[in-house]
Amino acid sequence: MRAKKRWIVLFLLPAVILFLLIYAIPLVMVFLTSLFDYRLTGSGMTFVGLKNYVQMFHDPAFRTSLLHTIIWILIHCVLHVALGVALALVLYKKPRGWKFVRTTYMIPNIISNAAVGMIFLNIFNPQYGVVNSILRAVGLERLTHNWLNETATAFPSVTMVWLLFAGYTTTLVLAEALSIDESVLEAAKVDGATGFQMDKFVVLPLLRKIIATTMVMAATYMLQMFDLIYVTTNGGPGKATTNLPLLLYGVYKSENNYGYANTIGVVIILLGAIVMTIINKLFRVNEDDY
Amino acid sequence: MHTSFRNLTGKERAAFIGKYLFMGLCSLVALFPIVWVIMSSFKTNAEILSNGISLPSSLSPDGYIAALTISPILKYFGNSVIITVITTILNVLFLAMAAYVFARCRFRGRNLLYFILSLSLVVPTTALLQPVYSVVNTLGLYDTKMGLVLVYTAINMPMSLLILRGTFQSIPRALEEAAYLDGAGFLRTFFQIMMPCAKGGLTSAAVLTFLNSWNEFTFALMLTNGQEARTLPLSLSYFTAQFSFNYTAMFAAVTIAVIPSIIVFAIFQEQVVSSLTAGSVKG
Repeated sequence: MRAKKRWIVLFLLPAVILFLLIYAIPLVMVFLTSLFDYRLTGSGMTFVGLKNYVQMFHDPAFRTSLLHTIIWILIHCVLHVALGVALALVLYKKPRGWKFVRTTYMIPNIISNAAVGMIFLNIFNPQYGVVNSILRAVGLERLTHNWLNETATAFPSVTMVWLLFAGYTTTLVLAEALSIDESVLEAAKVDGATGFQMDKFVVLPLLRKIIATTMVMAATYMLQMFDLIYVTTNGGPGKATTNLPLLLYGVYKSENNYGYANTIGVVIILLGAIVMTIINKLFRVNEDDY
Repeated sequence: MHTSFRNLTGKERAAFIGKYLFMGLCSLVALFPIVWVIMSSFKTNAEILSNGISLPSSLSPDGYIAALTISPILKYFGNSVIITVITTILNVLFLAMAAYVFARCRFRGRNLLYFILSLSLVVPTTALLQPVYSVVNTLGLYDTKMGLVLVYTAINMPMSLLILRGTFQSIPRALEEAAYLDGAGFLRTFFQIMMPCAKGGLTSAAVLTFLNSWNEFTFALMLTNGQEARTLPLSLSYFTAQFSFNYTAMFAAVTIAVIPSIIVFAIFQEQVVSSLTAGSVKG
C-alpha cells in the first residue's frame, strides 16, 4: 500500500509542477505586481497600492482597448455563434454533402492564426488584394480602400478576419444535435410540428447548454485575441484596432512597465470571469432540462 | 429528407435552394482564402500585381525555391517539428499519469486537487504573458526550444486532463483488477493494461495538443528572440519584411506553414471532432 502511495505522488508530480509554474505562480504574480511600480529599468519593485489602477482608468488607450474588447466579445458571441448554430441546424438533418461542409468549414480553425492573418493581410492589400481586385473588376474603383490601414475601415476589416469562421461552434453544436434521442423528434412530428417549429421549439432548447459552452469559448477567444490583430494591423492605425492583450503587450514590450502590464492582465482575468458568469446565468446552465 | 426536388411545393423548393446556398457559401468562405494563397504561390510577381484574382499561367515551383533560399524556413519548420512533437509526447504522458490517478486511486484531497488543477481551464493565459516570461527566464529557458515546450505542455493541460480522466473512468475496473491479481505492479498495470485501453482518448488529446502547439503564436513571440527557437508561425510575421516584394515566395511560405495542419486534420478528423466534444463537456 505504501508503494502505491509513492506511485500516486509520482504520477501527480509532473502535472502539479506544470500547474504551479505556468498557472499558479504567474497568477499570484499578476495580482501582486499590479500593486507595485515594477519596471525593467529602475530600482526594482516599490509598493504603490492601487496607483496602477488609477493610472489605468485615466489612460485613454486603456478605455479604447477595453471598449474594443467588449465590442468584439459581443459581436463574436452573437453573430459568430449564430452563424455556427445556423449551419449546425442545417447539417444535422444530414442533407447530401453535410460531411464535406463540416470538414471544409473547420479548415480555417485548424490552421495557424499567423497564417490566417498573413492571408487576410494579402486579401485586404490595397494593390493586389482580393477585395480591391473584385471591386475594380466590377467597375467600383471608387469603393476601394486601404482596408487595414485606414481608421474608418480597419476595425470592421479586422473583424472579418475571424467573424465568419465558426467551425468549432458548428462542430460542437452539430455533435450535440446528432445525439438527440430520435424518439423526442418523432414525438414532436406526431404532434404536428413542422421543420421550422421543430428546430425552434424542440431542438434549440435541447442545445441550450452546448450553445452556452460555445459562447463561453467565443468570449474567451475574443478576450484573448492577439495573434490575428498583431499580424494584420498590430493594433493600428493609431489605436483603432487595439484590444486589451495588444495593449498589455505594448506596455510590456515598448514601455517595459511590468506593473502596469499586469494591471491590464488583472482586468483581462476579471472581465473573463464576469462574461462567463453572465453567459451561465443567461442560459441557466446549472439547471436541468426537464 | 429523400423526397425529390420535383415533388416539393414552391415554398419547400425555396427552402431547399436556400439550404444548399447557405452550405455552399460556408464552404466557399472557408476554402477560398486557402485556395487563393495556394493559387497565388504559383503566380509570378507580375501576375500577382497586375490582377490579384487571376489564375496562374503555369505551375512553376519558383516561389517555393525562393522561399527556401531567402529565409531559413526549413530551420523554422524543424524547430516547430521538434517543439510540437516533444510537447505532444510529454503532455499526453504527464496528463495520462495524472488523469489515471484521479480516475482510479483514492487519496485524501483528491477532489480538491482535481478542482484546483481544472481551474486552469478558465484562466486566460494571455493575461499571464509577463509572469510566464519571468518564470521561463528564471529557469534559464528564454529563447530556447525547451522553454516553449514547457509552456505548451502546460497550456494544453486543461483539455488533456479533462479528456483523459473521462477516458480512464470509462474503462471497466475488472481489467485492472485482473492485472493486479496476476501480480502486476502499479507501473506495469498503467503502461501495459490501461494505456492501450485508453488509445482513443490519448489520440484525441495528442491531436489537439499537436495542432495547438504547431499553431501557437503569442508565447512564441514573447519567449523567443533569435532564430534558434523561432517557430514557423512566428517566422510568418517576419516574412513581409524579409520577402520585400517577392510576393510569390511569401505565398509559398504561407502554404508551407498551413499544409501540415491540414494533413494532420485530414488524417485525424474524427479524433479532432471527438476531442472537441469531450473537452467541451464541463465535468
